[in-house]
Amino acid sequence: MKKLMTSTTLFLSVLCSAASLAAEGDIGVAAAMDDRYCTTCHGVEGLGNIAIEAPRLAGMEAWYLKRQLENFRAGIRGKHGEDLQGNAMRPMAAKLSDESITDIVDWIGDWEYVPAEATIEGNVRQGRTAFQACAACHGANAQGNEALGAPALAGQNDWYLLTQLRNFRAGFRGSHQEDTFGSQMVTMSKTLRDDQAVINVVSYINTL
Amino acid sequence: MTNPVSRREFLNLLGAYGGTSAVLQAGVALGFMPSSSQAAEITLQANNGKKVAILGTGISALTTAWELTKAGYGCTLLEASHRPGGRMFTVRSGTVIDEIGNYQRCEWDNDPHLYFNAGAARIPSIHSNVLKYCKELEVELQVFVNESKTAWVQDDAMNGGKPVRNTDYSSSMQGFISEMLSKALGDSQLDSSLTESESEILLSMLRRFGDLNEDMLYKGSTRAGYGSGGFLDHGTKKDVVALRDLLKARNGGSVMVTTQEGTGSGPLLMQPVGGMDRIIYAFANRLRDRIKFRAPVTEVMVKGDGVEVAYEQNGVTEVLKADYCFNCIPSHLMSGIPNNFPTDYSEALNYIRRGRAYKAAFQAKERFWEKENIYGGITWVNAPIQQIWYPPHNIHGKKGVVLAAYNFGGANYTEMSQEDRIEDLLKHGEKVHPNYREMAEKPMTIAWHRMNHMLGCAPRWARNRGGWSDKEEQMYETLRQPVNGRHYLIGDQSTQHSAWMESAIQSAHYALADLDQRVRSEPA
Repeated sequence: MKKLMTSTTLFLSVLCSAASLAAEGDIGVAAAMDDRYCTTCHGVEGLGNIAIEAPRLAGMEAWYLKRQLENFRAGIRGKHGEDLQGNAMRPMAAKLSDESITDIVDWIGDWEYVPAEATIEGNVRQGRTAFQACAACHGANAQGNEALGAPALAGQNDWYLLTQLRNFRAGFRGSHQEDTFGSQMVTMSKTLRDDQAVINVVSYINTL
Repeated sequence: MTNPVSRREFLNLLGAYGGTSAVLQAGVALGFMPSSSQAAEITLQANNGKKVAILGTGISALTTAWELTKAGYGCTLLEASHRPGGRMFTVRSGTVIDEIGNYQRCEWDNDPHLYFNAGAARIPSIHSNVLKYCKELEVELQVFVNESKTAWVQDDAMNGGKPVRNTDYSSSMQGFISEMLSKALGDSQLDSSLTESESEILLSMLRRFGDLNEDMLYKGSTRAGYGSGGFLDHGTKKDVVALRDLLKARNGGSVMVTTQEGTGSGPLLMQPVGGMDRIIYAFANRLRDRIKFRAPVTEVMVKGDGVEVAYEQNGVTEVLKADYCFNCIPSHLMSGIPNNFPTDYSEALNYIRRGRAYKAAFQAKERFWEKENIYGGITWVNAPIQQIWYPPHNIHGKKGVVLAAYNFGGANYTEMSQEDRIEDLLKHGEKVHPNYREMAEKPMTIAWHRMNHMLGCAPRWARNRGGWSDKEEQMYETLRQPVNGRHYLIGDQSTQHSAWMESAIQSAHYALADLDQRVRSEPA
């Protein structure tokens, strides 16, 4: 019994050679013919997976997703040797075509926005003060601002925000010369005095 | 209060008084040493009409499904991938390697001998349950040659980077170790712990172990082969490689212990004829109507009277209701699937780390290794590729598949492009075989950390080299207890000796025994 399944997405005809299982001579079905791999790492419907350190994608803005996938593909993000999570993501995106990126962004757009659970506890009051600098671009409710290229932060996995802020502060993210928005974040993240300030600001974002 | 004697200390004491045989017997009793292992007898209560959801189709899942189906349970298996088997994966003509961002389709010659076991590849003779199922399901086995003394050892720092034969390395190393130990036997401290007769026997053994001369010195050995002659003419010994030179190789430990069967490795192992996945398909073909492929699980809810598993197939979400659930989805992926597990259970799932492993292989235009007197075994290379394996089957055939890298550490292959991986294996391989690059056709690579629906190789529990912490032991026990008596975690993640099929099968047997006992104790 060989079931030949047609993928619900259709591009990448280059991969549409005969079903692999024909050669195996055994049960199974054809391998997927698209690049919709995201949920393996990022969890069911992109809810995030702490065990893989892969953040929530559900609810992420389409324009931001597109920019990040393109940055990963181009090596603008994820190439710094100390950006371990980015190092893991970059090769996943390295071969994506423009059509694949469009398809992935559309697909992710179908997922329901569910705010992530809070896992980090800091000083919310001090975090709120520090957040004023963030609010200028990311919005008072951390809802994001496309015109300024600043993504929503509210509802994101706090452990992911923490890693990214630490990476910006250390220059592991945002130091590539073509990463215009990232370099702004490198500067802005340094307004946070120390690691406790980073924890505090993320704790405040958890309340939004 | 006196300190309790540790098991290890106890064995040392016993050795001092009772000799080796006493240590061996007690070691088996204390669980240090493998006894001759027996396959489990599975006797499940039959025909109870219970329904079981099995998540994944790794060998633990297939074992579970097979045993339960034989007993009359109604099983449904959900597999996220297009193929069964998980990390028991054989690549041959037509196989897709579904690595994320590095999709590969194998275009080797369509020949049953030309395959690459990209995951599990060897069966030790003490893995009785694997062997039991091979026998029961009529999977034909053949010998796998794990060690060949004519294979090579290569390290850029040793012998000017030129490879030496395994036997040159190992017989010389045995010689030097024996020579040094026999000298040390004159040392009063070592000597005082042995009787005269013991010293005599040890010296006699060392002389033969190291092939020492009458003065108990190592001056080369014909075990390393002859420099010339040996058949029509008297053989002459090869020049001795100086100990100082041998000690420049950093991979000598691997060279010296390949033959130590115990936890798995040994000089003679087994493999299924045609590829390791013959075991998987032997199960899966018997269970075929019960397996749903490309059906990733999207939610696991344990209820009072059963388990509800949501999965997606053909873009539609379905719910499978079952009395029990056996789950071999890798723990790090299960963390990304909504569930209602208890907090301590989820914490334990999140704790297990995913191991890294990388393998690569190519189809060789000719069996060039046979021209170098190699018929199987492993060449050890002190580079990230670490190992080169030669196929022990189809001797003198036209082509063969060479395993060109096997790295189970932290090398950066996961992040490398396919082109860079191929260049890496060729550049290191040609230090051993000058015609390697020319012989290599269509290399295939697999970084398990990037494999779709797997994202890792063998699970890693212990975070410290010293062994399992108490906290880890406790989390392990948490995961071995079924959630609400309904949800069982299986697979090598649910064992203390991961990376072996035998462990995965035993995890299934352990869970099945628990299930059977619960079912039997239910009111009629």
